[in-house]
Amino acid sequence: MGEILRVEKLSKFFDTPSGSLHAVENVSFSIEQGKTLGVVGESGCGKSTLGRTVLKLIEPTGGKIFFQGKDITNISKKENRALRKDMQIIFQDPFSSLNPRLNVADLIADPLKTFKEHNKKEIEEIVFEMMDLVGLSRRYAYSYPHELDGGRRQRIGIARALALDPKFIVCDEPVSSLDVSIQAQILNLLQDLQEQKRLTYIFVTHDLSVVKHISDDILVMYVGAMVEKCPSKELFAHPLHPYTKGLLSAIPIPNIHHEKVKVKLQGELSSPIEPPDECRFVKRCPYATDICRCKMPDYEEVLPNHFVSCHNCKNINNL
Amino acid sequence: MVMFNTKKRRRKMEMAGVQFTKSNSRFGDIAARMLRNKLGMVGLIIIVVLLILVIFAPLFTKYPYFEQSFPDRFLYPNAEHILGTDNFGRDLWSRMLYGGRISLLVSLVALVMSNVVGIIIGAVSGYFGGAVDEIINRILDILMSIPSMLMAIAVAAALGAGPVKTSIAIAVTGMPYGARLVRSSVLALKGNEFIEAARATGSSNLRIIFKHVLPNTLAPIIVNATLNIGSNIMAISGLSFVGLGVQPPTPEWGSILSAGREFIRDFPPIVIFPALFIGLTIFAINILGDALRDALDPRLKD
Amino acid sequence: MSLLEIKNLTVEYVLRKSVVHAVNNISLNVDAGKTLGLVGETGAGKTTTALSIMGLLPHPPAKVQSGEILFEGQDLLKMKEHDLENIRGNKISMIFQDPMTALNPVLTVGEQIAETFHLHGNYSRAEAEKESLKMLEMVGIRPERSTEYPHQFSGGMKQRVVIAMALACKPQLLIADEPTTALDVTIQAQVLELMNDLKVTFNTAMLLITHDLGIVAETCDDVAIIYAGQLVEYGSIEQIFDNPLHPYTIGLFGSIPSLDEDVERLKPIPGLMPDPANLPVGCKFCTRCSRAVKQCEEAEPEYLEVEPGHFVRCNRIGGTDNG
Repeated sequence: MGEILRVEKLSKFFDTPSGSLHAVENVSFSIEQGKTLGVVGESGCGKSTLGRTVLKLIEPTGGKIFFQGKDITNISKKENRALRKDMQIIFQDPFSSLNPRLNVADLIADPLKTFKEHNKKEIEEIVFEMMDLVGLSRRYAYSYPHELDGGRRQRIGIARALALDPKFIVCDEPVSSLDVSIQAQILNLLQDLQEQKRLTYIFVTHDLSVVKHISDDILVMYVGAMVEKCPSKELFAHPLHPYTKGLLSAIPIPNIHHEKVKVKLQGELSSPIEPPDECRFVKRCPYATDICRCKMPDYEEVLPNHFVSCHNCKNINNL
Repeated sequence: MVMFNTKKRRRKMEMAGVQFTKSNSRFGDIAARMLRNKLGMVGLIIIVVLLILVIFAPLFTKYPYFEQSFPDRFLYPNAEHILGTDNFGRDLWSRMLYGGRISLLVSLVALVMSNVVGIIIGAVSGYFGGAVDEIINRILDILMSIPSMLMAIAVAAALGAGPVKTSIAIAVTGMPYGARLVRSSVLALKGNEFIEAARATGSSNLRIIFKHVLPNTLAPIIVNATLNIGSNIMAISGLSFVGLGVQPPTPEWGSILSAGREFIRDFPPIVIFPALFIGLTIFAINILGDALRDALDPRLKD
Repeated sequence: MSLLEIKNLTVEYVLRKSVVHAVNNISLNVDAGKTLGLVGETGAGKTTTALSIMGLLPHPPAKVQSGEILFEGQDLLKMKEHDLENIRGNKISMIFQDPMTALNPVLTVGEQIAETFHLHGNYSRAEAEKESLKMLEMVGIRPERSTEYPHQFSGGMKQRVVIAMALACKPQLLIADEPTTALDVTIQAQVLELMNDLKVTFNTAMLLITHDLGIVAETCDDVAIIYAGQLVEYGSIEQIFDNPLHPYTIGLFGSIPSLDEDVERLKPIPGLMPDPANLPVGCKFCTRCSRAVKQCEEAEPEYLEVEPGHFVRCNRIGGTDNG
């Protein structure tokens, strides 16, 4: 299986009245076709911005994006539009992501109509095919989104993303606003679709149990910077970065006999606006040393396929 | 935008196992909901009747609107003159109908013009933001800082008299308010993920504005427009008063009303009837507008 | 006697065209110093239950059809509004889901906490201010920050302020409606720990409403699982987590991706919760239950005590048929 997407030193800064906001800084990774990269982090860590920048819905400030071997960082408007057929996005909020004035059939048909490559009859066929695919009964074709529940609405969002037959989809917290029983239905659907269509996902979420379930690799972000990246199982078995350790131990486990070693993280996230050149995690890190306060750590392959940005990684983990 | 509405296709799909809910065609659905709204239908009927009376005025009147007859001054409604006569002995019914041509048509045309331009400017300004928004907003500020009557007079003076020119003069004064309203609705909508979703599926800006943004700003637009109709009628008479609207003896509701002021104590019909026509028009447009707003919103479907 | 006893509470929302059966015949007990977790999905009736305890149901359309809510032996439902006001915020307080909207943006956090003391605690202004500083310190906020406004606080800090306000009068019962849903995991861990500590310090009873079984495992003594306005299972935390009996409870556990084990596919509960305005005649869960038989569609199952303190509402458990 070949690499489908590669991102090199990607950055996105936003101008705000109080200074430059470093939403994403120096993020690099690659994904192979048919795989899922989970991006986890707490609110404001830049994970959604990362997803949108990779899709070129937001112009990156620096770095390069390669999709199917082609540099798509600086492409024309026309090429960007054509790219939409290969790269799609599924949104978090099934309520605000659907135009309330369109019915289900029109919502799913909307991307097809934009490209004007199909006639009415073909569009109609594709719409029904998509509805079958995502498990949305055909009798809802003329219902409006407000008449449906969250799970069905999220299925509309998925069908809309699939209508153009993309290869790569960014899922931005697609199950966060759903109830657990519905959440499991949607996660299974996403996995089935991946298998059937060899889709590649970037799965953005704050829910670590969901990300572990669905991802092959996981990228942990903290205040715009990448902290750790490695295969999913490895991350949960041997987290190396102090933040990852704290994050993992903070998850409430639905098992009353689970004895866990609590690594408590004190304090809260630092500001992403004009951050000084220091490790982003230094204020909460129990292992912080002088070097952490004067230089942002580089991203190193500490163990095979296991990348960490931490000055003291080897000392902390006795490697 | 209307996709699956032909009967043939519908039958085919029913065979394919598609169960139809009540709404399968957008226009049919809107019309059906419109028809169910009784109050809205009353409004529609009033407007249609008024328009027919006004457009085909010669068929419904016995006297020319300008024919003066001194012996017949200040007649109360009777068999000959169903609404009576005015201070020059002119038939009030004729004057109301012919007057409606100017009042109704000019105010409606002005309404459409000011809203079309206002919607486009407001949508562009709100949707694109940045420098475009800044420039448009400063221009709107300038327009809004001039009292609207003064503004209308200035434009009318530059263009000259005549129904179309009067419409333009009135439209120009109303436009900034509509534009501001649309802009703020667009700003609120822009944050919704479905706008971003449309962008992610490759929709052009124009398509996003017309398909995803504007349909969702209809409610405030319609309410604003229906409220404006009354002030437009009054603005025409204001312009006529300073000699920039329509010239006497051409009648027009607002002018008839203001000319009748001096006789209000001794001969009320001269004020009551034009006021009644203006009031009826405003009322009908308002309930029609509300019905239209509700019919266009699929969320209010019963 | 329990601190709070809810007996056969039924609440309906009477709408123009339909009646929504939000809460059907629920009975709960919360003992002093204990935490009861009320678990269920959106629309299951969790918040309605909480609001009826507080006497804050929107009326109309909400209507308490039957039942009693006994707090220290007194029926809150029969109490006069004036007496309720004395209890609310004083003996029972509530934490809402969204800390962002629960604070008044134009008052400093110190003033807001002091206000609670002043209203309920017979404190003078100066004393109330002093007490509010103590309270802030207790929830882990430096007292200097009491002169700051809510917008200067982050989400987790705001929720701490809300908790400080709720605990200001040392209530006997704290109702927490999804208190950490709006927070990040590391902050959530801090807030949950804080709530646990305070519970021990003040011996406060707590009714914790949540959909997260992980949080329940970490904080609760007893668990009530609510589905379509009915309790389907009720028991101690060990009973529910080690021996879940109701198919819905089992389904909930199957729906959560596990961090301990590797599962290729989740086992979701198929279908959706029934429309609360149009509930099935028999078991409310029968439309989604893999073990449903004809009997389930016809007759509503009884609420049986299968072992001491462990209640289940299911036809297929206990009784004659033990399939």
